Amino acid sequence: MSTPLSIRGLRRHYRLEQPVLEGVDLDVRPGEIVGLIGRNGAGKSTLIKLALGLLQPHGGTVRVFGLDPLAQPVEVKRRVGYVAEDQILPSTLCVDDLLALHAELFPTWEPAAAESMIERFGLPRRRRIHALSKGQARQVALICALAHRPELLLLDEPASGLDPAARREFLELSIERLSGAGSAILFSSHQMGDVERLAQRIVFLDGGRVALECPVDEIAARHSLAVVRGRWEAAQFAQLPWVLRVRRREDFTHVVLAGNADDAARELGAGFGCTIVNSRPLPLEELFVELTGAER
Amino acid sequence: MPVSLSVQPGTEVPIYRQIVRQVVEAIAAGSLSQGERMPSHRELAILLAVAPLTVKKAYDEMEARGLLASRQGAGTFVIGTPADAPSSQARRAPLRESARALAAEAALHGLSLEELLQLVRAEHARLENER
Repeated sequence: MSTPLSIRGLRRHYRLEQPVLEGVDLDVRPGEIVGLIGRNGAGKSTLIKLALGLLQPHGGTVRVFGLDPLAQPVEVKRRVGYVAEDQILPSTLCVDDLLALHAELFPTWEPAAAESMIERFGLPRRRRIHALSKGQARQVALICALAHRPELLLLDEPASGLDPAARREFLELSIERLSGAGSAILFSSHQMGDVERLAQRIVFLDGGRVALECPVDEIAARHSLAVVRGRWEAAQFAQLPWVLRVRRREDFTHVVLAGNADDAARELGAGFGCTIVNSRPLPLEELFVELTGAER
Repeated sequence: MPVSLSVQPGTEVPIYRQIVRQVVEAIAAGSLSQGERMPSHRELAILLAVAPLTVKKAYDEMEARGLLASRQGAGTFVIGTPADAPSSQARRAPLRESARALAAEAALHGLSLEELLQLVRAEHARLENER
């Protein structure tokens, strides 16, 4: 089976002086669930749109099951499901007609599965898309993305704006529908709890590149924070490759480390004479905050 | 399954470890007994809203520890007995150091034992509520 998604050296800008992606390498393997995280504007949506062939790369390659999404758009889209926060569905169609249209477009469409999902969500079949609530529209988009049992599901902040119960339902359905089928999922989210529940691996986009990737189970064991007294510069730790970020917080400096908290703290103390006030492992949400949060 | 499991993202403990811990505790407490059938990977994954591979990882670890066994086509069963699951003594050991540090800090701030216990109970209740 070819790799569901393989990205090499991907570059894309919207305005010349403002590159978004500056050489991204990323693979999503068969059956793998990857959580794509990063600040607003880090390029998560851009990357997903490039993977779908909705945007043209300015450099590098995108392959979906070995195919070029721009050269073979139909073959690629038949094997992929896509749900995005800002997705535009044909607003004047009613739910039933939209699903009928998808059934025509996708040879592997499973009408029974689509039916059971409509039932489950209790969607009004004859209502037009523009008259649906935000949550209902997202549910329709999910049915459109899942009923042909895609081999790769691309979710761009699919659950943002949904209430916690609807978000949970959305996740459960994606898992239920695709687990066992060996489908791969790439999803971007700001909900770190969802990422921890669903993903096997996180990919963190920052500065136009993949700044960090790690199996979800190993994040806290592999990343830690040392709070150091005084204001230190990143350059002072330049020779330590395991220092991921130096973040000044008033009279203290947060040093974000790749590694076990105790070992790293020992080295900072012994090698640099840092007074370590506190050191602790960083679970995903805290790691995200420490890597991206402001200084003061 | 007669035991209700729940997982809590956002903690230092990976989700698969949380599952292992709760099943082990249920076996140790006798609420899961030998011969009982466990939910399938998929069933438990949907129940907890976590990826099926996470459940598989937890089950694999418990199989390796001789607490669960899977039979082709029949499912996964509890084969361990409370004697195989770590005792309350063993479960306490990793917390001893934190407990000592907490006791020392309480003394430093002039808290009595009763005040410290009240604080721990309140925090414990808060965590339970958040589940």
